[in-house]
Amino acid sequence: MGFEIPKIKYTGKIQEITIGTGQKAVRVGGATCYPFYRFEGEMPNPARIAFEVWDHRPDDWQEWAIEPYRDVIHDPAAWARKSIDVYGAEMIALQLKSADPNGMDRPVDDVVRVVQDVVHAIDVPLIIWGTANDDKDADLLRKIAEVCEGKNVAIGPVSEKNYKQIGAMAIGYGQVVMASTPIDVNLAKQLNILLGNLGVPDEKVLMDPTTGGLGYGLEYTYSVIERDRMAALTQEDVKLQRPVVCNLAHEVWKTREARLTGKDDEKLGDEIKRSILMESITAMSLAFAGADIVIMRHPESVKLVKEMIGELMG
Amino acid sequence: MLLIGENLNVMSKKLGDAFLVRDQGPVRKMAEAEAMAGMDMIDVNIGPARKAGPEFMEWIVKTIQEVTDIPLSLDTTNMEAMEAGLKVCKKKALVNSISARPERMAGLMPFAKKYNASFIGLTLGAEGIPRDANERGLFAAEIIAEAAEYGILEEDIWLDPIVLPVNSQQMQVQGCTEFVMMLADLAPNCKSTCGLSNVSNGMPGHLRGIMNRTYLIMIKRYGMYSAIVDAFDSELKAIAKNQRPELEALVHRVMDGESIAPALLSGEEGEYVKTAKVLLGQTLYSDSWLEI
Repeated sequence: MGFEIPKIKYTGKIQEITIGTGQKAVRVGGATCYPFYRFEGEMPNPARIAFEVWDHRPDDWQEWAIEPYRDVIHDPAAWARKSIDVYGAEMIALQLKSADPNGMDRPVDDVVRVVQDVVHAIDVPLIIWGTANDDKDADLLRKIAEVCEGKNVAIGPVSEKNYKQIGAMAIGYGQVVMASTPIDVNLAKQLNILLGNLGVPDEKVLMDPTTGGLGYGLEYTYSVIERDRMAALTQEDVKLQRPVVCNLAHEVWKTREARLTGKDDEKLGDEIKRSILMESITAMSLAFAGADIVIMRHPESVKLVKEMIGELMG
Repeated sequence: MLLIGENLNVMSKKLGDAFLVRDQGPVRKMAEAEAMAGMDMIDVNIGPARKAGPEFMEWIVKTIQEVTDIPLSLDTTNMEAMEAGLKVCKKKALVNSISARPERMAGLMPFAKKYNASFIGLTLGAEGIPRDANERGLFAAEIIAEAAEYGILEEDIWLDPIVLPVNSQQMQVQGCTEFVMMLADLAPNCKSTCGLSNVSNGMPGHLRGIMNRTYLIMIKRYGMYSAIVDAFDSELKAIAKNQRPELEALVHRVMDGESIAPALLSGEEGEYVKTAKVLLGQTLYSDSWLEI
């Protein structure tokens, strides 16, 4: 009797989800094994990277993060185009930072106009990330679902507080929702059940587990995604069989360690290299845990992660 | 199974206010209601009682004893208040509780001995909540050994495995259940009890009953001697008093690994099956567990 490598017994499959339309539409999910365990099952779609674009010129970015986008950073539509044309973005994640009631608190209509500009300027799938303020998002994302009709965009974060309002509009206009819960497998399951009860089809739900950057809670996010996947693939928990999206760029780039320069502290070394590595390591770790879409900032980090995913899928 | 009513509690807004102004009315009413509901003991939870603790405990114990002679479980972290209460209890009282922390054992065990009271031995150490059944066992052993030093009989020790909320600590609930299974071997002469309602802590209010009742069936099977419970859940009381053997048998089948499709059962039976699966860790908890 020859030696047989032990295999995990999978009983589930991650729901396959399409974002966007036409030739550039992206499919994620569909796995019947743990991430990159292609010797045990199918992983039909690789983890995908969305380039983040802010809806307003950011005022607190590091110079070296601005640099790749300097000529377009004041214009979200042009910024999105550059990410696609120059850096090869396959997806765009528009961050509605200016709508945040704790920040600029720009009116809903103004922000919706920016979304329209961007969605019409690009042909790749669009993720639209709100403020994470339940009330503002309920209003804002509902209108966005409407104006993006026919584009099959992903909108979120949708929480247990506003899933009814946003979910109903997403059903009406055929958009994908991103169900967001605070690093908790039980709450993630519950929100998926609630969205299902509301009538949101299974193939229109992505999960946002809440993302922590390297050194700032990455391990918690990693563990909860792992837990989601174990339940989904080995414990027949159909309610957790959804692809995962991680909005990580801002979590990495806002940290002290991504800001300090080599002059501030010699031991920390070159700041550009360091912050790019912090972003890539965060993204790659989350992909290993099971993230299907990672939202990233710097073209160099994206390049590194894309290469690694390519090798693992090759 | 012996039941201890949990409802005379400082956490209740109405009672908390009455406590504050020493209004006997609501205290008497609650004690009478718990007696009517068939509780075997009443837990008197006055919380930390930092201000005037001893005087307050004495007042409340006397107030309750004016309307009922049910034995009392005295629930406070204030050690002086504990002694003041024990002094005036007419029936054999229960000290709720003594953990394996040295200062708790040294402070309270002498009172238990002096006033011939039983005590709840909380399987909790200085490092906090136990992580599994074995850690619970270690704390239990420490408590039993220490109580022996004071000449307290093992039958006066009511070990508490520490029930944890299933909605946030589903895996840890297994550790509690496992420990209850071990109790008969580990401490055959001790009694046992637990704060049953904690299993459903943080869950939607209307769903707590079914969770409490199902877990009661599970730990009752392994010989749990008593539980601190919602005095007004009459169905729970019926289970504890062996009046629902068919429900117990059903939950036991789930515990024994039998695969039962809830769809083939009546609504109530289906709910017990689904809930048992959650408590056994077979179904991942969510607030909608009864609906899927």
